[in-house]
Amino acid sequence: MSAIVSSAFRLAAIAGNTFRESVRQRLFLILALMAAMLGIAAWWFRNCGIVAPQTKFLLDTGFGALTFFGAVVAIVAVAESFSGEIERRTVLAVLAKPVWRGEFVLGKLAGILGLLLAFCAVGTGFLVGWLWWSQTQPTDPLARGFAGAGGASSFAVMACGLVQWLRCSVLAALTLLVATYARTSLLAVMAGFAALAICSLRALVWDAFRFAGPEWARGVAGLVGLVVPDFELYDVADQVAAGGALSTGYLVGITLYSAIYVSLFVALAVYCFRHREL
Amino acid sequence: MKAVELDGIAKVFLPALSGAPFHALTEINLSIAEGEIVGLLGPNGSGKTTLLKIIMGLVAPTAGACRVFGRPSHCAETRSSVGYLPEAPEFYPFLTGIELLRFFAGLAGLAGRIREDRIKEAIALVGLGTASARRVGTYSRGMKQRIGLAQALVTSPRLVILDEPTANLDPEGASDIGEIIRGIRARGGTVLLSSHQLDQIEDLCTRVVLLNRGRLVASGTIDELLQSHRENTLVVESLPEADESELRVWLANRGARLRSAPFARRGGLERVYLAAAHRCYSDESECP
Repeated sequence: MSAIVSSAFRLAAIAGNTFRESVRQRLFLILALMAAMLGIAAWWFRNCGIVAPQTKFLLDTGFGALTFFGAVVAIVAVAESFSGEIERRTVLAVLAKPVWRGEFVLGKLAGILGLLLAFCAVGTGFLVGWLWWSQTQPTDPLARGFAGAGGASSFAVMACGLVQWLRCSVLAALTLLVATYARTSLLAVMAGFAALAICSLRALVWDAFRFAGPEWARGVAGLVGLVVPDFELYDVADQVAAGGALSTGYLVGITLYSAIYVSLFVALAVYCFRHREL
Repeated sequence: MKAVELDGIAKVFLPALSGAPFHALTEINLSIAEGEIVGLLGPNGSGKTTLLKIIMGLVAPTAGACRVFGRPSHCAETRSSVGYLPEAPEFYPFLTGIELLRFFAGLAGLAGRIREDRIKEAIALVGLGTASARRVGTYSRGMKQRIGLAQALVTSPRLVILDEPTANLDPEGASDIGEIIRGIRARGGTVLLSSHQLDQIEDLCTRVVLLNRGRLVASGTIDELLQSHRENTLVVESLPEADESELRVWLANRGARLRSAPFARRGGLERVYLAAAHRCYSDESECP
């Protein structure tokens, strides 16, 4: 068996184990339940009419839950399955087998991306289910709200789900980079949430200093703009909820943008972990 | 071929922000032949675990070279012939014992029928039985130690490195571990064992290595070590308490020491160990 094939087997074994272990954890179940409860609450309040029309309100809430809980799952899953494994010394037994440290990092990330994909697929599936139901129940007032003029298409909702998964993947890779040298899983969690805040506010900082600030601040803003991914680019839920579609160009662009950042963060994570004392 | 060769190994841990560097290991030279069972002894913090991690390639030495079966220890391929049980391991709590062993065997490149047969053998060897179908999170400390040993042995390694294998085990469990180690030796395997169970080391090991404060302070067979630490012991009965201090002074003037009774009563390897450890604890200048 060639070295590449056996390396792929080990990577798949680590990814599969990470996915299985994460899915079986109570925390993941609790987060999924909380997301479902938020969906039920949105359903309950759909007729209030104080926030937005029914379709937009339900999709906004659904994508909001997907984005928020997806970010929590990404950060906690990385901290638990990577930093936690170092804290519990399980990593020593794993790396005592013929496993390269890079395989361990990549396997962990692949397992977590699988977990996030499952999470986003289930959430998006619920939203698409609502749309499908609205098309088959044209006499129901709620269904009319869903299927009315300018209603979102199933394809746009699925595409939006994919975009949310890409955002979670970038966040997971960034948290993984921090976790490769964080001493505790708590530190990894805190740094993960800090990274989420920085990436979400990145556009704001960029705009504030890019053109108006002093020379040095513009330089720093430029550097931050290069290193930190801009999570505002993933905020397309409003557009989809309002009945807009996501262009193929945008989808290809955001996929490449995410792939570049994930690759960069993973490469740095592998480098850091290779030099870490266990 | 030598199973393990350590040549001038040193390890210095640098402080994260400030403070003095910590010399965990200093100038360790050691060679372990295939088929040997070597006991690694030393007080807490003497550098045993760091040394084992260096042999496993998990920690890079600051200086020196480490080879396992003639290959550098940091290469992943080297570890395919080594089984390792870390100190107080915690494994994936949501996997069953069998799933856990399947995972570790898969990492070592085992698959299909061979993998399943090896898993069955390892489970039988460590005596987990039907508990292997339960989730690891429900295991007692002793059972976790057994599943840890099973993952180290599932690949039938030529060298087995065990860091405190009998910690948290009841006497029966410790005795079982002893039998497993004898089994490894019977089929020509090599074992490097770190433990505080001196009677077990004395019973199992063909050679003992003593570490203290990062230095190798003694090495040899049990008999060699006992010879080098031979002392004349006089047991004094019914000595009036008032005369004890006078006796101490008298002995001190002749270069001898009066030890407390529990210390003096200990024998064999334990006395060698305590003498080596005591020497460093009582005189800081002797050790780094």
